[in-house]
Amino acid sequence: MDLSLSDEQQQITDSAATFLAEAAAMPAVRAASESAGGLDRALWRAMAELGWCGVHLPEAAGGLGLGLVELVLLQEQLGRRLACVPFFDSVALAATALRGLPGSPLAQDWLARLAAGQAIGALALPDGHGGAAGAAPASNPPGQPIGFSGSKVPVAQAEPGPEAMDSIAKMPPGTPPAAAAPTAVASKDGWTLQGDWPQVGSAAMADVLLLPAQAASGETLLLAVPADAPGLQVRALATLDATRRMAAVRADAVSLPAASCIGRGPALDALFTQVRQLGAIALAGEQVGVAQQCLDLTLAYAAQRSQFDRPIAGFQAVKHRCAQMLVALEGARSAVYGAACIADTAPDAATLLLYAAQARVAATEAAQFCAREAIQLHGGVGFTWEFDPHLYFRRAQASSQRLGAPPWWLEQVAAQLLDTPEEMA
Amino acid sequence: MNLQETGAERAFRASVRDWMQTHLRGDFAPLRHASGLGAPGYEAALAKRWEQQLAAGGWTGLGWPRQHGGRELPLAQQVIFHEEYVRCGGPGRLGHIGETLLAPTLMAHGTPALQARFLPGILAGQTYWAQGYSEPGAGSDLAAVRTRARIDPDTGEWVIDGQKVWTSWAHESDWIFVLARAEPGSVRHKGLVLLLVPLRQSGVTLRPIRQITGDAEFNEVFFDGARTEGALHLGAPGQGWAVAMYLLGCERGASTLGQQAHFKAELEQVVAVAKRNGAARDPVLRQRIAHAALGLQTLRSHALRTSGDDAPARAASISKYAWSNWRRALGELAVDVLGAEGDIAGDDLLSQALQRLWLVSRADTIYAGSNEIQLNLMAERALQMPR
Repeated sequence: MDLSLSDEQQQITDSAATFLAEAAAMPAVRAASESAGGLDRALWRAMAELGWCGVHLPEAAGGLGLGLVELVLLQEQLGRRLACVPFFDSVALAATALRGLPGSPLAQDWLARLAAGQAIGALALPDGHGGAAGAAPASNPPGQPIGFSGSKVPVAQAEPGPEAMDSIAKMPPGTPPAAAAPTAVASKDGWTLQGDWPQVGSAAMADVLLLPAQAASGETLLLAVPADAPGLQVRALATLDATRRMAAVRADAVSLPAASCIGRGPALDALFTQVRQLGAIALAGEQVGVAQQCLDLTLAYAAQRSQFDRPIAGFQAVKHRCAQMLVALEGARSAVYGAACIADTAPDAATLLLYAAQARVAATEAAQFCAREAIQLHGGVGFTWEFDPHLYFRRAQASSQRLGAPPWWLEQVAAQLLDTPEEMA
Repeated sequence: MNLQETGAERAFRASVRDWMQTHLRGDFAPLRHASGLGAPGYEAALAKRWEQQLAAGGWTGLGWPRQHGGRELPLAQQVIFHEEYVRCGGPGRLGHIGETLLAPTLMAHGTPALQARFLPGILAGQTYWAQGYSEPGAGSDLAAVRTRARIDPDTGEWVIDGQKVWTSWAHESDWIFVLARAEPGSVRHKGLVLLLVPLRQSGVTLRPIRQITGDAEFNEVFFDGARTEGALHLGAPGQGWAVAMYLLGCERGASTLGQQAHFKAELEQVVAVAKRNGAARDPVLRQRIAHAALGLQTLRSHALRTSGDDAPARAASISKYAWSNWRRALGELAVDVLGAEGDIAGDDLLSQALQRLWLVSRADTIYAGSNEIQLNLMAERALQMPR
């Protein structure tokens, strides 16, 4: 047991930091974030050439054969720079999902292209927590009800096993009816896809969309839909965090060949759970980078800003808050590295949930705390467009809502910890 | 990077468990799950015999170098020992000031003669130590110490006059290490000496301080012409500050590993009460309990990531600040989980434990460098912000 970085891992971190300091310097990030598509294509190509897009994927799929730890280290550096690339959506989410579908030749074909960075993928998760809420309006995420509605619905009797989380995530009785779930109806030579996925990360720049839908039988299907499929509308949404774009996806009687269904049933439900957990750890890595940069920006500013004839960095009111940022940041980093490390050892579902939730909650809190403090400690210029803290503030908030906000994760943990039969000594 | 236990680590864990199960029984049964002095069943004499039993079993000095009789175990195995020790109901450790604070300082700053004289007694659970740092006028501002030490020209002994305060377990200890001013007229960090002083002598008077819990774990210690041998100083006279700071680094660092294992047991008590009285179904409390569980896991990951750090001041202050604030919040959660019953001094042992946790944890963010001091240290040392 040891969570310090190996020499090789430290090298990955250092070389990524050096590369991105130049390739994703703030002027480039601002230019990309203010462009129509929101994508820095030159940076994305360079990352693909470095092999980053397949960092955690098997060599057989064209990946580097490393683990989630290494992916998290890259995410951390990308978060520091707010790099305008779909690494999280395409690599950490879509490719991770495709990796779990070895039985589908189409999935494996897309996986190879994603791993090489030749194509971009976007994944919608079925319950709204992937940033796609086909089954529920965004204002009423179905994962939340247990602790929040105030109703004492005992959702606790979750069946054990990997399906437990999904059953917990289902809506309890009394929740207002959701918008109709997207459907995939079997046709003579394939599927007809119909429905809305209102908020899918990086979808407008994606070549393939991985969209969940309900079959007539009630089971969940996952369909791989090319971005240019007739009847598919991908509408880019203006986002407050312009460094990561979202899109509304609508399928209006989209005809797809039979092989487009790349996963289905309980195995797919379990895969979604796993992808959400691994994705949460990857996202947490990015949030650690956000927190780190907020602290670094604040330290640099406080050292050069003078008031009362001395740098404000010398005032205890400022120093203590920077130190509290450091505590939040370093705790989150430990949580994320530990979670990624555990995830790479194929733990049981209960363990992975605990560690993913830990990373998610610690990193979300660190990123939000540090971004808020960065604005405050920059004073008046922290409120300007010109200075960078607001960009991180926007990212911290947007990321806090992806894959389930911290209260949702805490409820999953509470259910696992507290809703077991009485076993008092 | 690896968070899974190796085969050797699993075997080590099993060996701790086996030993605890065969030894923490019989005469020692009253000590099971007793957190320390003041807890029901915790008798100092019995706790000392237990320390000697641990020593005989080879469970003291786990991280000490072999040359000093230790086992030189890697950090992971020390963590495993503490976790398994607590899981098996192991009681609070009476010897920890000697074993985890003074001993490493002796190894770093003591002469071979001092090491040979004092380390074996600590390792064997025979000699118990108290810490003489704070004074009524020197708390966070430790460099303001006024206790005086001078050499008696006739005997060559040190003669000590002054007062220390917040001295844990002095009434159960044999020796005390005392930070004193050795050079008359010196100020602040200069002119200090760290002395090793026998507690049981006529020049030393102890007065217990009744603390927030009603117990008296602390003492005031009065030195009135107290004496110790001329050679019993750590580091050169006048250079005591650096030695004292080294010792504080130990207090904020590795010695907290054992405490974290106790925290897990305390969290489990909170969970047990929440399940028993229905607080586990409260939407807000269950979020707080989950948050506490994840926070504890983060403390563990943090220890496993940073305890081998080359920058101890940075790592030690971060972890001290993090664990003390975590545990203080756990104490608040504990009485909120008890609800209105938290105000009733009843017979239920579990409720008593949570009430005690609520009060005891207020000390965590004060001793061993308060929250405010830790933030200063992090800002100035880790973040290089100006003084």
